[in-house]
Amino acid sequence: MFFNSLAFAVFLPVVFFLYWFVFNKTKSTQNALLIVASYYFYSCWDWRFLFLLVFSTFLDYYTGIQIEKGKSEKSRKFWFWLSILVNLGFLGIFKYYNFFAASFSELLGSVGIKASPILLNIILPVGISFYTFHGLSYVIDIYYKRIKAEYNFVDYSLFVSYFPLLVAGPIERATHLLPQVKVKREFDFQVAKEGIYQIIWGLVKKVVIADTCAVYANAIFDHYTSMNSFSLILGAVYFAFQIYGDFSGYSDIALGVSKLFGLDLLRNFNYPYFSRDIAEFWRRWHISLSSWFRDYLYIPLGGSKGGLWMKIRNTFIIFVVSGFWHGANWTYVVWGFINAVYFLPLLLSNSNRNNMDAIHLKFNFDSAKVLLSILYTFSLTCIAWIFFRAKSITDAVLYLKGMIANRDFSFQYLDNGRYSYELLLMIVLFVLVEWNNRNKIEPLSGKRSLLKLALAIAAILALGTYSDYKEFIYFQF
Amino acid sequence: MKKFLIYTVKIIVITALAAVVLDGLYTAIFMQSANRGKVETVVNSTAKKYDVVILGSSRANNHFVSQMFEDRGLKTFNYGMSGGHLFEASLMLKLMIERKYVIKNVILEADLNLSGEKKSEGISALFLPYIHNSETIRKHFENEEDFCELYYIPFYRYIKYDEKIGFREALYTVIHKKTSMLDNLGYYPLFKTKGANMKNNIVNLNPLPHNKYYEEIKGVCKANNINFIAVMTPMCENVKGINYFDKVKKAYPEILNYENVVVENKYFSSCGHMNDAGAKLFTAKIINDFFVKK
Repeated sequence: MFFNSLAFAVFLPVVFFLYWFVFNKTKSTQNALLIVASYYFYSCWDWRFLFLLVFSTFLDYYTGIQIEKGKSEKSRKFWFWLSILVNLGFLGIFKYYNFFAASFSELLGSVGIKASPILLNIILPVGISFYTFHGLSYVIDIYYKRIKAEYNFVDYSLFVSYFPLLVAGPIERATHLLPQVKVKREFDFQVAKEGIYQIIWGLVKKVVIADTCAVYANAIFDHYTSMNSFSLILGAVYFAFQIYGDFSGYSDIALGVSKLFGLDLLRNFNYPYFSRDIAEFWRRWHISLSSWFRDYLYIPLGGSKGGLWMKIRNTFIIFVVSGFWHGANWTYVVWGFINAVYFLPLLLSNSNRNNMDAIHLKFNFDSAKVLLSILYTFSLTCIAWIFFRAKSITDAVLYLKGMIANRDFSFQYLDNGRYSYELLLMIVLFVLVEWNNRNKIEPLSGKRSLLKLALAIAAILALGTYSDYKEFIYFQF
Repeated sequence: MKKFLIYTVKIIVITALAAVVLDGLYTAIFMQSANRGKVETVVNSTAKKYDVVILGSSRANNHFVSQMFEDRGLKTFNYGMSGGHLFEASLMLKLMIERKYVIKNVILEADLNLSGEKKSEGISALFLPYIHNSETIRKHFENEEDFCELYYIPFYRYIKYDEKIGFREALYTVIHKKTSMLDNLGYYPLFKTKGANMKNNIVNLNPLPHNKYYEEIKGVCKANNINFIAVMTPMCENVKGINYFDKVKKAYPEILNYENVVVENKYFSSCGHMNDAGAKLFTAKIINDFFVKK
């Protein structure tokens, strides 16, 4: 059940009605309803994977309590590592086993040893990377005594399986969401209204921006060998907006839906393409994942406290692991590596925290410099996205080579019967709307909100891409 | 909560209003369309006179050279539509009659398309902008499964078929961007394709014994004193299940089998479609058989 489906348009009002009008007596009834709704939501993809979700929930709930109750360090450690290993084990089997087996076989093949790896015929459970990370952060926080274990199984289950964030995040923290599910939620009109704005803006990003860009980006990436430099550049830009619209659109809908139930989720995107350097980009893009890796991998590895080599090593580790988190393919690893390379000069010159302030532009040289740095950062991310989108590293390298070597900048007619440049105006318009509202969560609230809402709805109806129905990209991760 | 429910109702009303306004706007735009495609041209036209009207799928569109009929003094237009089925061919003819066209002869390509009665999603969508403005179109779609949604939900048809009649098509209609659909009097010539697949397997294809839309076309022609000529058109040499054409002949004795008048692969662009040279040979044969007094 996708957020942009008719089924969800029925599911959401039904759950909303039951939540506020039937099951609103206590927080327990509210939570129980949300769990049932969440399990139903998840089962719409594949009910067989419900057992994984239930098992993961039970494992972290139980190990969390055992860690807290553990009298000796040995016992605490046992339960901690049990949880980590089982969680990562599931992730490894479902997401990475085939990749490692095939890669190992290829490696043996390259030195003349023939091997036929045993590959598993399994599909990746939707959202496994997300709910595994929820559970991991919970157990790690208990182990390091940052939080207390949750003894109420219903409350804990809701933290893990809450449907708006279940399949594509944001990756929540127990410190943020658990306290909210432990109290009865009261309806707040303003919060719910904000939720509606976010849902509608999320839909604009998904069906108008992402899905339309996908039509062009796919046509260019799938036939990149016959594309000229201009089309290849446009292809990278379209994909950049496709993935941004797709994932941030999903996050906006998730946050908006959650607000309707009185629960606040972590912000996942903060206008990342207006970043002035790569460090700022990673503070604004998929924030819940970046901060997860910072808190649970980078800092435990020593962060930037050690010597120069330690800093470099840790930076490469988190970027490469973050790339690998996205999928079992070398292209994602290279994408992470490239971002580490981008980040390195900032780290070494201690300027990775230079652009922490909000952007204010005036008619002066400094503002021009800011705009250029935004454009430069965006170009760097587009180059990295080529590796993210390409089917193989070879394809990505040839794509880049074509972009530079072809030097033909004429308008090209694509395989899908459209001209490559057709979307530029829409993207410019979208960028302007986001730029003018970069200090707000979404552009629809504020003055003349009803008019803006009407325009957004009209855009969804008229400009959305429906005939080539697309699911959300991040569901596969 | 009461405030929120009122707010939700407001949003629903805004959505409905937006859909109504957009529906009206798009329909008005498509009602002005004249140079984009065959459907729009017929819908937005008034009485025309034709000696020959050609109907069918791409195997009509790419096989009948209209100019060769014209050279014989026969006013002709090829209304064959690539991807179209008999559902659309029948509707096209009924629309022409609704618009008081005077037609002497209808040539219908009736062969592979006799195996089904379903509409072609892509081509039938082109008629949908006019569903509220043409009784013929409304009636033709009336028995389709999704008729109620398409007819009663404002803007739904434009959303469902946005690739065919969505924003892009509406925009191009507004700026009068021309297509090549109406060039060559509707005939679309194909050329030799390197490495084209010159094989086809139609073993599993069977003509329906009483194809509803074929019978409808026949009926319309009879009711309007139009000479009805139904023909099977050529396929390449290497076809598995070529006896399909014999089955057609058996079920519909009045359909003339021209499948084997052009056989050599050099006359084909793909197995089911002749190239321009093949189309000219074929058209010459048709003209000779039906329009040359002997």
